[in-house]
Amino acid sequence: MRVLLVDDEEELVSTLAERLAMRGITASWVTGYRAALDIVEHEPFDIALLDVRLPEMNGLELKRLLEVKRPGMKFIFLTGHGSEEDFNACSAESGRDYYLIKPVQIEVLMAKLNEIFQQ
Amino acid sequence: MIRFQGTANTLGLLFCGTMTASMSHEIKNALAIVNENAGLLADLVALAEKGRPLNPERLKALAADISRQVQRADSIVSRLNRFAHSAGQPITTTSTREIFEFTAALAARMAAMKGVTITVAEDNTVLMQARPFIVENLLWICLKHLFAVSTGNQTVQLGAENADSHVIIGLQFAASTPVEEIGKLVTQEGQPLIIALQADVSTDAQRSLIRLTLPKKFEE
Repeated sequence: MRVLLVDDEEELVSTLAERLAMRGITASWVTGYRAALDIVEHEPFDIALLDVRLPEMNGLELKRLLEVKRPGMKFIFLTGHGSEEDFNACSAESGRDYYLIKPVQIEVLMAKLNEIFQQ
Repeated sequence: MIRFQGTANTLGLLFCGTMTASMSHEIKNALAIVNENAGLLADLVALAEKGRPLNPERLKALAADISRQVQRADSIVSRLNRFAHSAGQPITTTSTREIFEFTAALAARMAAMKGVTITVAEDNTVLMQARPFIVENLLWICLKHLFAVSTGNQTVQLGAENADSHVIIGLQFAASTPVEEIGKLVTQEGQPLIIALQADVSTDAQRSLIRLTLPKKFEE
C-alpha cells in the first residue's frame, strides 16, 4: 500500500510517515497542494490522507485535482477543526467513515487505511 | 453586497467565534504533533524490546520536538486568553503597534491559508485612546475582505501616522488589489464599529491603501 500524506504541519506528516513505515506502509509526505500535485505526476499512490485546511487550496479542492491525475486513488480527510460544515462536505466526497479528527490514534488510522484499500 | 448589518456587539461575537475557531485549530495541530511524537517514542521502545538498539540522540530530538510543540500550544493559549480578556477591556490609551501586532498574530493562520503575509510597519507607533478590541475587530474585517480576493503570495502592511487630533491607520496592499471594493465592503459590514470608534474609512486606489481615521482622544 502506498500512501501520500498532505498537511502543512511538516513535523506531523514526517513523523506519521515514519510510523506508517514501521507498520509496512510506504508513505510519502508533502506540505502543500503544489507539491502534492507534482508528486502524483511521478509516483503512484493508492490512498491520500489530506488535511482539510491546507494553505491556498483546501483538501476538498485538492482531492478533485488529484482524482483527475490519478483516477482510482482513494482519500481520507484529516482535520483539526471538526466543524459540521467540514464534516458534511468531506463526508459527501469520501464517506463519513473517512473523515478523521486530529489527533488520530495510529491504530484507528491503520484500520481506516486497510479498510479503504480493500474496497 | 453584504446584507447583514449587525451591532458592534454582534460583530464582536462573530470576531470572537472566528478567532477562537482558528486558535483551537492551531492547538489541535500542536496536539496532533505531540501525539505523533509520543507515538513514535512508544514505537521505538517497542522495537527496542524486540532487540533493536535505541538511539539516545533520536530520543533527545523527539523530546525536544515535544517540548517545542508544548511551548507553541502554550503561546496560542496565552494569545487566546489575552483575546478573551480584551473583549471586555474599557477605553484605554494604547499604541497602534500593539494593536497591529496582536491583530497580525490573531489573523496569521487565516492569512497563511490564503497565501497572505501580514507585516507591521517599523517606527511609526502612535498612541491613541480606544477600545482595542473594536479596533482589532475593524482591522480584521478589512483583512478578511482582502483574504477573500487574494490569489496568494500577497503582503499587507499595517501602519499608522499622526494627523493632528487623529490617527490614520493604513492597510497597504499589493498593487492591483481592489481596495475600493474592499473599502465599500468594510464600510458596510463594519458600520457599527466605525460608528462606535467615531472613525472614517477611505481608500486610495493608486497607492492600494485603505485608511482608517480615528480620533486620538476618544470621547463617549
